[in-house]
Amino acid sequence: MKNRMTRRSLLQTLCGATALGSLGAMPSLAGSNEFVWMTWENLAKDDYLAKLLAASPIDLRKNFIGTDDEQFAKLRAGGASSVDLITPGLDKVEFYVESGLLQPVDLDRVPNAAALYDTFRNTPLGKKNGETYGVPFYWGINPIVYRADLMDGEPDWSVFFEGDKHAGKLAMRDYALEGIMIAAMYLGIPQDRMFHMDDAELGEVKKALIAQKKKLRTYWNSISDLTNLFASGEVVCAFSWVPPYHELRARGLEMGMALPEAGVIGWCDTVAVPAGVEGQKLEVAHDLINYLLGPVYGEKLAYGGPYATSTSLIRDQLPLDQQEKIFVKDLSIMDTFVWKQNPPRYNEWVALWNEVKAS
Amino acid sequence: MSRTAIGNWLAAPIVAAIATICLAPLAILFLFSFFSVDFVNIVKEPTFKNYWTIASSSTYRGLIAQAFLSALVVVCITGVIGHPVAYFIAKRVKSAKSAFLVLLLVPLYTGDLVRIFAWRVLLGTEGALNTLLLWVGVIDVPIEALLFSPLATHVVLVYNFLPFMVLGLWLSYESLDDHLLEAAGDLGASGMSAFRRVTFPLTAPGLIAGGLMVFVMAVGEYLTPQLVGGASGITIISAINDLFGTAFDWPLGSAIAWTMLAILGFFFAASAVVLGRTNWARAVVGGE
Amino acid sequence: MQSIPNKQPLNGGRRPSATLLRANQLKKSYGSFEAVTGVDFDLEENSYVTLLGPSGCGKTTILRMVAGFETVTSGELELSGQSLVNVLPNERPINTVFQNYALFPHMSVAENVAFGLAYGQFSKDEIAQKTHAALELVQMSAMADRRPRQLSGGQQQRIAFARAVVNEPKILLLDEPLSALDRRLRKDMQIELKDLQQRLGMAFLHVTHDQEEAFALSDKIIVMNKGRIEQQGTPAQIYRQPANAYVADFIGGANRIAGRMSEVANGVGVIETGLGKYRAKCAKGLSAGAPAVLCLRPEQLCPTQADGLELQVTHTIFQGADWIVEARARDDTTVTYLAPKSRLPLIGETVAVGFDAETAWIAANPHEGAA
Repeated sequence: MKNRMTRRSLLQTLCGATALGSLGAMPSLAGSNEFVWMTWENLAKDDYLAKLLAASPIDLRKNFIGTDDEQFAKLRAGGASSVDLITPGLDKVEFYVESGLLQPVDLDRVPNAAALYDTFRNTPLGKKNGETYGVPFYWGINPIVYRADLMDGEPDWSVFFEGDKHAGKLAMRDYALEGIMIAAMYLGIPQDRMFHMDDAELGEVKKALIAQKKKLRTYWNSISDLTNLFASGEVVCAFSWVPPYHELRARGLEMGMALPEAGVIGWCDTVAVPAGVEGQKLEVAHDLINYLLGPVYGEKLAYGGPYATSTSLIRDQLPLDQQEKIFVKDLSIMDTFVWKQNPPRYNEWVALWNEVKAS
Repeated sequence: MSRTAIGNWLAAPIVAAIATICLAPLAILFLFSFFSVDFVNIVKEPTFKNYWTIASSSTYRGLIAQAFLSALVVVCITGVIGHPVAYFIAKRVKSAKSAFLVLLLVPLYTGDLVRIFAWRVLLGTEGALNTLLLWVGVIDVPIEALLFSPLATHVVLVYNFLPFMVLGLWLSYESLDDHLLEAAGDLGASGMSAFRRVTFPLTAPGLIAGGLMVFVMAVGEYLTPQLVGGASGITIISAINDLFGTAFDWPLGSAIAWTMLAILGFFFAASAVVLGRTNWARAVVGGE
Repeated sequence: MQSIPNKQPLNGGRRPSATLLRANQLKKSYGSFEAVTGVDFDLEENSYVTLLGPSGCGKTTILRMVAGFETVTSGELELSGQSLVNVLPNERPINTVFQNYALFPHMSVAENVAFGLAYGQFSKDEIAQKTHAALELVQMSAMADRRPRQLSGGQQQRIAFARAVVNEPKILLLDEPLSALDRRLRKDMQIELKDLQQRLGMAFLHVTHDQEEAFALSDKIIVMNKGRIEQQGTPAQIYRQPANAYVADFIGGANRIAGRMSEVANGVGVIETGLGKYRAKCAKGLSAGAPAVLCLRPEQLCPTQADGLELQVTHTIFQGADWIVEARARDDTTVTYLAPKSRLPLIGETVAVGFDAETAWIAANPHEGAA
């Protein structure tokens, strides 16, 4: 879930765009035994995968991505035939499916999928016509993180929209989808309408976001940058990811994490199989998916991430404090999360977001 | 066949390859700018819709204007600072000239991010500058606008691009005959007057060369505004990036990119025409 | 290139009079190196004075101190009794014609000439009129709209001159102004420069390493060497009565026969040399026992039958109008003289040459061996 706009990512996106126009599908450059997994760097650490690789002779190649958008651009530009497994966000799977880039995953060949939490088993996201294209794999939430030593109490979303107490000390992520979701939650727009807001509602959202902008120190783009801003005191409260909370507490800062009652944004990444993968590689793909949903990997990620995987296979073996750390101690909390979805009018959301930032 | 002709033939494939590599992506972007997008499908039916969107959106118009204005400001400031620096290196430094030039370029060896974060440390609320000002007693509360503001963006951009301006000007100063400045003084010109009437016009090629480099780079800069510009750090480039990446609206992104290119091209053409009309420019640049 | 018709006789009209510029113990050093060691000289109104010497002798440094481009290390520099030492170049009523002309390449000829007029209190019309007059003066009106790069060296030289004199400076400084021109053009320009100086009634201070140029132009020549003034005087004095061996050698390549004074009285002395004793007029300041040289110009020597210098011919050199004979005396002193029209001696031949004691000159030899 690292979404940092770097020069390289811009370049790659542009290259992808140009390649799309000039090239058709590229023949696979990978050798017959190579299995290429396009994924985030923190998910494919050697010791996470050691057990699987010891058991079967896979020549696993990791192809790290910088942003979900970059991954999509690569595949759209004809890269689908050179990878065998990708890692799209649950809300983004639709893009890949509609672009014809994925094949359905046969869950019968993924025994561990039987242990998926209900939330993920029942979600309509990542599916089409009853077939699963993106298998939910690991997940988390994006809460409010704040400097408890510099704030009076636990904030909720209103801290970004009302009052001047912390004006100039707040930060929001520079991301249209989440920014607008938060404004909608603050305005009390119900979850089932949130992704289908009409012009009037979007107008309200825009107004709220323009008011919010004046209170912000900055929009953040990289989580390590936000961590620094917390540490240096430039920012006391931000819509954040979880890691700065743990990292800065470990460094001795009194950090707080708030899960607003109006809703917390939940995210989930999936694994998905590109359309052209077949034969031996398809076998390996299913094996790898199964391993990723299994207890060995689940335990590694629970401590290493710390993130929860989408199955219950390891939960009960974890101590309670570790369960709490990855939000699986009280499973009902999952129902309060607002899972990210792709709004049908997403282009307009992005335009709106840019208008707010340029205001 | 003459030697020149052989040379031309030998160079032809390379020229063609470079032209293709440079122009092909632009051509493709140009093509895309007339398409439209339907969810994840690019509809390849020619339309001016994207250009109309840009023209009718005060956001995009504003961001484009801001990019050019801001670049112009950076060019002006680097020009003002660059003149004395270039003069010093070209005319005052005798033995350690290359050391000075290397020193000038040192910041370029470090990455963008390193430089930007260094400036954060300097300009932040609890940064070096605020700490110093507080300690001296000039201010009672830290100046927050030092960082995460357009001011900070321009300070960092000037810092980043100054070497290019200085390099351009330095070359001009190196070829500037000292006797001309003596002649100006001899004929009654004060230092300022000599600068205005002799130094400035004669180093103008360097200013133009350096200025063009700085201008183009400043127009295309988005990382610095994003990281030190604060909530107002949006640029037209990051908007294009959003369109290409997040929104999957490649056609609109292409159209904005091409609008920028067209304006840039117009800028250059117009300045070439204007410069071509002035006598001194013809004399200085054209070597008449 | 045509020269302006000479309307006044050379050196005629007004004679140099009151002192305009005075240098008193003027010194310039760069670190431990003394470029100018503390010199005294005057520049009179309406005079043409030349600083003559080889490169590195300090003549250009003096010029640059007068212009204001170099600071004065110590000593005094006065213009009409007012110190110039702390006056900026742009505030001195002095203009310079630079060696490389230093014309502004981005300006037309007329703009170049009008450059300095912008700093006077002139109307546009006056500026145009003065510019035109200055271009007329150097016969360059037709080139007013050209650019310096489109002009020949001689034409650029004229523009540089016009650009300087249009400001009507009290002193015009000329830094080797003719050195970049070819020989023929240089001769023409010399005549023209002198003529212009006379017509403008302006004091010229001219730096050159070319003695012919100095002789052709100057009311006064200041001969310099190693940051010192060796001699100053009229061209005739410098030529005929060199103060010392250095000047004698630098000017006209006089033969020098080294020796010591044995007696001096009323401007006439006797010098004892390895080749014999000679009596001739001598430079001021010589006393008995002082090292000195007998100076004999090549044209003063002619073959004689008796009582001459015995020489062995080593070279004969054709110089158009004359043959120069180079020969060696018995103490290895090299002597040159003009071959008689009647007969050219053969190489190796022994000849005897004599001279008229009335025209010979004994100069000091302070830097024995150095000259």
